[in-house]
Amino acid sequence: MNIIKLRGVRKQYHAKTALSGIDMYVRRGECITLFGPNGAGKTTLLKIISGIMSPTEGKVLYNDKPYSESDIKKDAFYLGHRTSLYNALTVMENMDFIRRLFSLDHRREVEDILRGHGLWERRNDPVNELSQGMKRRLALAKGFIMNPAIFILDEPFTGLDHRWRSAIVAKINDIRRQGKSVLISTHLVEEGYRLADRVAFLHRGRFLFIKDRDEVDPGEIYGLFDSMGEAAR
Amino acid sequence: MKFAGSAIAILKKDILLELRGKESLSLMLFLSLLLLVIFNFALDTGKENVSSLASGILWVVFTFSGILGMGRTSMAERDEDAYLSILFSPASAESFYIGKVLSNLLFLVIMEIFTLLFFAILYDFEKIISMLPQLLPGLLLGTLGFSLVGTLFSFLTTASRYGEVLLPFLYLPVVVPIILGGVSSMDIILNGKAGGAGKWIQIMAVFDVLYFAVSLLLFRYIIEE
Repeated sequence: MNIIKLRGVRKQYHAKTALSGIDMYVRRGECITLFGPNGAGKTTLLKIISGIMSPTEGKVLYNDKPYSESDIKKDAFYLGHRTSLYNALTVMENMDFIRRLFSLDHRREVEDILRGHGLWERRNDPVNELSQGMKRRLALAKGFIMNPAIFILDEPFTGLDHRWRSAIVAKINDIRRQGKSVLISTHLVEEGYRLADRVAFLHRGRFLFIKDRDEVDPGEIYGLFDSMGEAAR
Repeated sequence: MKFAGSAIAILKKDILLELRGKESLSLMLFLSLLLLVIFNFALDTGKENVSSLASGILWVVFTFSGILGMGRTSMAERDEDAYLSILFSPASAESFYIGKVLSNLLFLVIMEIFTLLFFAILYDFEKIISMLPQLLPGLLLGTLGFSLVGTLFSFLTTASRYGEVLLPFLYLPVVVPIILGGVSSMDIILNGKAGGAGKWIQIMAVFDVLYFAVSLLLFRYIIEE
């Protein structure tokens, strides 16, 4: 069953076409990795899918219903380039705020999630005292409280070293084991390829391909990045 | 219940943010103090004049300190795109709006109490404290109007690079009826002028209802775009 379906999506920013002719679907429980150089339209696409941004043209269906009749925001977790955390609040206060918004009584659950993300020892520290890696993990940990049907992660590995990237990969694998759908955009071929059921490559607002992972060799993705003058990592 | 719960969660979070960051209320208090001192030097505020100048001075201070504070509470949501946590939660846009209105209202009321006390001391005008029960309806309706409109416009403008510059230009023309009502009703009460305060208070109440209805409808579009 498809959780998300896009038909003929186009996005125009004044004279610039950010996306055009986008048709895709996301199945329940699958992980799709979007590759593409800077400015390819990955962030725009993820924002449209998450409902933050409206397409100029085309349809976005969530559980086969248009946005107006559904409310994807109540059933999705979006992590953009920024962490969506309140920097002045502590780790626990950020998590408690989300818990209250979701009307969850169980502080125990928050404790388990923080322990699972290696953040329990830092629970009383303000977010602005955490390393970039810890902030990204905390931002992802919020998604576990929200328990959404789909995780939409825009460049979740940005600015992280190998150790933190591996930790985030492990957490995304946890998400997948829970049967959630995951959409990731990244420049990191190794991590993105390893996580995906399907991989897509976006260039100048169009898909060059969207295929099952087994049908694409990672070398092909590295080659595309090279040909566009952008180093894949 | 969920609606109220979300709004209260947002209010509590804003109070915590203020206690930790001291970015909104402390700036408002400092600006109000600064403005009161400037007016004290710039105007002839002798015993015979202060009563007629009080309403004008106080509402200028409330307006500009309020703009500063409301801009900061919206910036706290835009920093790191923190508001997306609320957007991607069961909390409705309306409860988000009410939560922010309540926190702005709370900070405005604290700033106004401080301003009135400081005004009474600095201008040697204790009368304003003794007349507070009569002044209260006008003050509360005016503050509510500020908060209803300010919450909406501060979210609208913080999306722009020039947000803090834009906010007064958009906000002030819209709250003119509230400022007029606030100044006039306070002036009538403080100077014992015949009648009229009730009429201004009614006008402020009508505008508050109007602001509330329009802002509640528009807020969803502002945060989603």
